[in-house]
Amino acid sequence: MAAGVAAWLPFARAAAIGWMPVATRPMPVPPREKKKSQDQGLLVLNVSGQKFQTWSNTLERYPDTLLGSTERDFFFHEETNEYFFDRDPDIFRHILNFYRTGKLHYPRQECIAAYDEELSFFGIIPEIIGDCCYEEYKDRRRENQERLQDDEDDEKEDVAPLNMTFREYMWRAFENPHTSTTALVLYYVTGFFIAISVMANVVETVPCGTLPNRAKEISCGDRYALAFFCLDTACVMIFTVEYLLRLIAAPSRYNFMKSVMSIIDVVAIMPYYIGLVMTDNDQVSGAFVTLRVFRVFRIFKFSRHSAGLRILGYTLKSCASELGFLLFSLTMAIIIFATVMFYAEKGSTSSKFTSIPAAFWYTIVTMTTLGYGDMVPKTIVGKIFGSICSLSGVLVIALPVPVIVSNFSRIYHQSQRAEKRRAQKKTRIAKIRASKSRGTNAYMHYKQYNGHFLTHSSLEEACKEAGQLLVGKPNIPFESHHHHLLHCLEKTTNHEFIDEQTFETNCMEVTMVNKSGSRTSSMSGSSSPHGLSSCCSRRHRRKSFSLPNSNNQELSTIQIRERPIVNSRSSLNAKPDFETVPLKSGHSYVTSSVVTLPPAASSLLTSSDNGGSSSSTCNYSQSNIVRVSAL
Amino acid sequence: MVLEGMELIAIIVVIGLFFVVFKQFGVWEPLLLDESSDCELELSAVRYQPEGLEQLQSQTKFTRKELQSLYRGFKNECPSGLVDEETFKTIYSQFFPQGDATTYAHFLFNAFDMDRNGAIRFEDFVIGLSVLLRGSDTEKLRWAFNLYDINKDGYITKEEMLAIMTSIYDMMGRYTSPSVRDDDPSEHVEKFFQKMDRNRDGVVTIDEFIETCKKDENIMASMQLFENVI
Repeated sequence: MAAGVAAWLPFARAAAIGWMPVATRPMPVPPREKKKSQDQGLLVLNVSGQKFQTWSNTLERYPDTLLGSTERDFFFHEETNEYFFDRDPDIFRHILNFYRTGKLHYPRQECIAAYDEELSFFGIIPEIIGDCCYEEYKDRRRENQERLQDDEDDEKEDVAPLNMTFREYMWRAFENPHTSTTALVLYYVTGFFIAISVMANVVETVPCGTLPNRAKEISCGDRYALAFFCLDTACVMIFTVEYLLRLIAAPSRYNFMKSVMSIIDVVAIMPYYIGLVMTDNDQVSGAFVTLRVFRVFRIFKFSRHSAGLRILGYTLKSCASELGFLLFSLTMAIIIFATVMFYAEKGSTSSKFTSIPAAFWYTIVTMTTLGYGDMVPKTIVGKIFGSICSLSGVLVIALPVPVIVSNFSRIYHQSQRAEKRRAQKKTRIAKIRASKSRGTNAYMHYKQYNGHFLTHSSLEEACKEAGQLLVGKPNIPFESHHHHLLHCLEKTTNHEFIDEQTFETNCMEVTMVNKSGSRTSSMSGSSSPHGLSSCCSRRHRRKSFSLPNSNNQELSTIQIRERPIVNSRSSLNAKPDFETVPLKSGHSYVTSSVVTLPPAASSLLTSSDNGGSSSSTCNYSQSNIVRVSAL
Repeated sequence: MVLEGMELIAIIVVIGLFFVVFKQFGVWEPLLLDESSDCELELSAVRYQPEGLEQLQSQTKFTRKELQSLYRGFKNECPSGLVDEETFKTIYSQFFPQGDATTYAHFLFNAFDMDRNGAIRFEDFVIGLSVLLRGSDTEKLRWAFNLYDINKDGYITKEEMLAIMTSIYDMMGRYTSPSVRDDDPSEHVEKFFQKMDRNRDGVVTIDEFIETCKKDENIMASMQLFENVI
């Protein structure tokens, strides 16, 4: 709970007087005030010689930290009557400010590791850092962790694991060429062959002089067909072998086959095999020629060798929407200008603007300021619009390009930060909610342990009975007062707080028991017996059974369940959870019996009487799951 | 030549249309300078200073030290010296995380804000607390009556009581045992009226209220519960 409101607790308690006339049941006894003299005292905190002073109330706002709990007594120095901490005073200043203002700030000049250490020493979770400083903190922390991770990775890479299988060894060699000389050799060989293959494709098409018995010039590819074929075969052999080896070595073959690089590999070598398979049919030769185009994809295999290409590809992919918008606006402008030019040039004779699609070419060439000159407007109107077209072309194209370039870097960084923040936010909220639920759970635990103590006359007796189980918690005045306040509210409304899981299981059990056919009723200490619907009325309206106010009531299930503790500081033995569904009936009579295990926990039983309207408060023990049903 | 003239007109019309189209594109629109945001001078937070310590001491039953500590806590939470309703609701809701305390906080706020100006000053806060913690039983009951009487007309009607009761039950939240049914508040109100409304006229006046409460031991005992709060 936010501790600034600790100051308002007296007010909230005083305001509880507003419930008193409404309540029908007596209120619980308030917790005893202890050590009243120390409440208004100034504390001296001596941190490595630098003295800080504050009210003891200030520190007690956050009872689950070192300074706010009794843990600080370990640091009390009797001779000087102050609390001495052998820690960094500069960082302590921020921690003390957290108690004062409720906000924790992260100073930029401090080292993140030192700050983290101080926070963990004083028991403060970093998620409390205010929004103003949280992003900076998380950035620094991430950088630090990455640095540590990189150091670790470097170490790991240098030291190869001893018992790697051959498969893992191969995969490592393929992925990182610096691991061994074999990998390096592979890397360079494949690179060389990619280059050779691409150059061969290019040179193939160069005209290579004429054959003696033909007039036409033929390309080198046709002249030295066999040589090129051998070269192509060799390259494809190498690529195929490499691909197969990668496929075998990949830790997850399915993922490997889905990856972009493997698709590029396949596309690069497929044309050759398809060409082998297909004969020199005239019908399919057209398609075959098209396939050869795909050989140029081999150049993309270089992206394994170049990190820059990979980054470019990634940024293009991430800015696809921007590019799409540019294309869209360009298309709109092209269509508009082409239409205008067509209609403007319609009148002139021998105009090249035969149709609007034909005018597209003119518009594109003009807007990109290429100006080939193969299509030129002849009418005055056409020339006017042509000049407007070229002017707006400069605007439309030249302006967005730098914007897109800067968009690249901005979007790239921004999306990374946004994702980071989203992930952080989820964990932050979860952790804060966890500590908040710790607060309510704390009340529930407090209730369970102290529930029956309220029937005793003095708290001290009860304390002794429970032994060490009550160590710590009730001594913290804020918590105990807050719990008393919640207890008063329960008594005012005649309902009790339970937590979500118990509520759900309560409902489920009641409906399950109901399904089994026996008529049950669940009631609390309110005067009129309800039907089965009472527990789940808010949720399962359709399952409301209206039982008559009859006396046939049967069994009640009493469960004693263990639940792990959420409170960290004074977490002791597991506290059991308890759910009771007592009866009120004319006839049946329930005795609940509780199994207790040896250590100190006391066990009390109360039984609900025949006509008694008070709900039975049974007690808890450290038993394991025991299911007791009595009739 | 006539055609030229017509063509000219057509040209002008088309150019005009072009401008319109470009305006749609947002290409020709002059840049709207965004000046409106600068004009929002945020009025610096209204500061409010409370009356002097001696005056407050005379008006309330707190000692000097108690007033000092109360003011420190108050000022820490509300540096401007005034608590508005939203802040009040937030603060009060933190004590009841399982339920929804905003409605009850609204009623409380109205009970504390005696001059109905929408904000609780330190004086209101401290005077209210003084009544609750150090006042006589009659004063406390009067305060409670004032809380229940939403429209401050001197009568508690069933509707007002139902509103108060619903808000109290709302604070319990969903996860209670037994589960809060929808007619729990109204049943409770019925019981309350049965007890309090002596002459069965459907409203509870302050005299009926105080008289009935004084006769009830439980209520009287519970009034003394929070005496050592400060």
